[in-house]
Amino acid sequence: MPTKWISRKDLKKLPDQWLKQYDVYAPIQNGHELAFQLVKESAQIVWDVPSNPRYPAKSLFLPQSEVLMSYDGILHSVEKVERPKVLFGLHPCDARAIRLLDHALVDEQNPDEYWKSKRQSTIIVSTACISPDESCFCTAVGGSPFNTADSDALIVEVEDEFCVYVLTEKGGVLFSKLPDAEDAQREKVEKLTKKVEAGMPKAFPKKKLHDNLLASFETDFWKEVSQSCLGCGVCTFLCPSCFCFDIADETVRKERVRNWDSCMFRTYSLEASGHNPRPTKMERTRQRVMHKFVYWVDLVGEIGCTGCGRCVKYCPVNIDIRAIAQDALHREFEGMKK
Amino acid sequence: MPNTRDQKIQAEAKRLLQDGVVDVVIGFQKGTLPYKMQPCFISRADEVAKLTLNGLCSNNLAVYLNHWPKGEKTAIIVRGCESRAIQTLVLENRHARENLYLIGVPCIGILDLQKIGQQELQPVLAVQEEGDQVRVTFGNGEKLFKRNEALHDACLHCNHPQPLNADVVIDEAGLFEDGSFDKSYLHAFRNLSAKKRNEVFRAEAERCIRCYACREACPMCYCEECFVNHSRPQWIDSTIAPSGQQGWHIIRAFHQTGRCVSCGACERACPMNIKMTYLTDLLNQDMAAEYGFEAGLDAAAAPPFLTLGEDKGKFTGEQEEDHAN
Ligand code: SF4
Ligand code: SF4
Ligand code: SF4
Ligand code: SF4
Repeated sequence: MPTKWISRKDLKKLPDQWLKQYDVYAPIQNGHELAFQLVKESAQIVWDVPSNPRYPAKSLFLPQSEVLMSYDGILHSVEKVERPKVLFGLHPCDARAIRLLDHALVDEQNPDEYWKSKRQSTIIVSTACISPDESCFCTAVGGSPFNTADSDALIVEVEDEFCVYVLTEKGGVLFSKLPDAEDAQREKVEKLTKKVEAGMPKAFPKKKLHDNLLASFETDFWKEVSQSCLGCGVCTFLCPSCFCFDIADETVRKERVRNWDSCMFRTYSLEASGHNPRPTKMERTRQRVMHKFVYWVDLVGEIGCTGCGRCVKYCPVNIDIRAIAQDALHREFEGMKK
Repeated sequence: MPNTRDQKIQAEAKRLLQDGVVDVVIGFQKGTLPYKMQPCFISRADEVAKLTLNGLCSNNLAVYLNHWPKGEKTAIIVRGCESRAIQTLVLENRHARENLYLIGVPCIGILDLQKIGQQELQPVLAVQEEGDQVRVTFGNGEKLFKRNEALHDACLHCNHPQPLNADVVIDEAGLFEDGSFDKSYLHAFRNLSAKKRNEVFRAEAERCIRCYACREACPMCYCEECFVNHSRPQWIDSTIAPSGQQGWHIIRAFHQTGRCVSCGACERACPMNIKMTYLTDLLNQDMAAEYGFEAGLDAAAAPPFLTLGEDKGKFTGEQEEDHAN
């Protein structure tokens, strides 16, 4: 796939051209916050985003509340034709999360049509993360601020110009008119990549972390790490790779709705009998961490956390999933394989 | 660098643990990000050096008493709002006061980093509190703020920063005197037209993602089953839609009437930076006007809504005039 080159001035005009054919979603300033939202013109886009917008881009494919069908005597299925979209300006960690969610939601025989239709109609153009912030740790969990694996194109800013890695045919459509990058330009990008990656945390030993966590399952470790947890939905709702949902019938509006749910809520695993298999925040915290670092690894061979740092940054009591992983790596748990 | 406030807190915690007065001390320790502190639970005298209290300690520690083993002898570091929350919890029979040992600290206020720097655009790299100034290092350079500009609104509006009914009070000056609350922001809100008030309310409530961090961070929200989780009957819409978002914010505030201690922990926990204490403050102002009651001030005065009978208290409904001061 080709590598292209474009000036800042020209890049800033591109989304206006895309807007003729696509709905474009990109980080824009929304009150005090940044948010991935529908763009009306290029000028709205915030180009320099050192830190991930808090509300994750998964919401564009798995909306926090989505009407599955409506009923008024007869059922109406919801129209699933999607307008072609460009999702622009997310970092590679967020692109990776969307690809991870494909595993969870698109089983070949039985895909989640609501997810799949939005996903197929979207071109993902990510931007490399030039200045990762204090909460970022993508390199610890198998990613990179320059990761090309999960996007249709990746844009890298170098010295006020931009290198565009076209990664799929889908992505190529948006950049076909640009000139190819020259060797000297490519070299600049490679140098920058090395420099930024060098400042990032080292990869967790995936297998050891997986085994240690399993060995820790029945220990007081979890009591310790969960003690200050409040049991809110911040870490999971803002997590780009969490996907649990609950289905509710809104009988007044006559709609069946799918809402995000959170394993950190005490009602999440509460059964109709009154029994709760995860009765305290200890079991719930353990579940969140196990899912990311053990169950994802068992199921698809990679860690299910992309290191985006949102849960680290927005947890009201600073429960830090990196610190939990580090801690688990450095402890001896009974029954641990040597 | 340790400051004397921290050293005095640590010394008291050490004494309590060493002498077996308590089994555990609830306080704050340094967090994993340069602008975060985390609640901590110290049960060994050799761990007290972790304890700190500064403007980045943003939670109301009283919240932990809600899921706390009842018999455990517990010390807890309390500022004004935390002491009032505990007083209210004791009055609501949530806790026996004799099992608690309150280490009072005159409050120096809590910083609101959301207010002074937009975190997504300029990540905060360091925060240094220097007397009545706060030095914040952002990705693109350093900025010096007056401490008052950087404080959370709840602290700027706080009437009782001194810890009440504590077992010991750390001998260090706080930032304000009791009674310095400036009510003008509530007046300004009440004086808006109904349409404008509704606009303010909607602009805040309709950004809500219903993560319930506000509820879980609040010491007064301890219901086993929150109305919002109830499904038979379902009280409010479950979705991210104005009906459910507004419903949550209104009913949550009403359940706090005369109970909320105006600590602002709910707002500081909110990941969407939503304002909500103006609602509880308004309701508390009504309670003060109608019943002369303020939550957590008096160890003997039960909240009016716990004791209200036909013969007691009469709501006049003339709020607007009653709020002249
Ligand atoms: S677990 Fe935390 S750091 Fe990992 S992807 Fe989710 S929000 Fe990001
Ligand atoms: S870890 Fe933090 S964000 Fe997650 S449920 Fe606990 S308190 Fe909330
Ligand atoms: S913490 Fe904020 S976003 Fe979460 S439920 Fe409360 S108001 Fe809504
Ligand atoms: S409602 Fe908010 S301000 Fe009031 S006591 Fe609860 S957390 Fe504190």
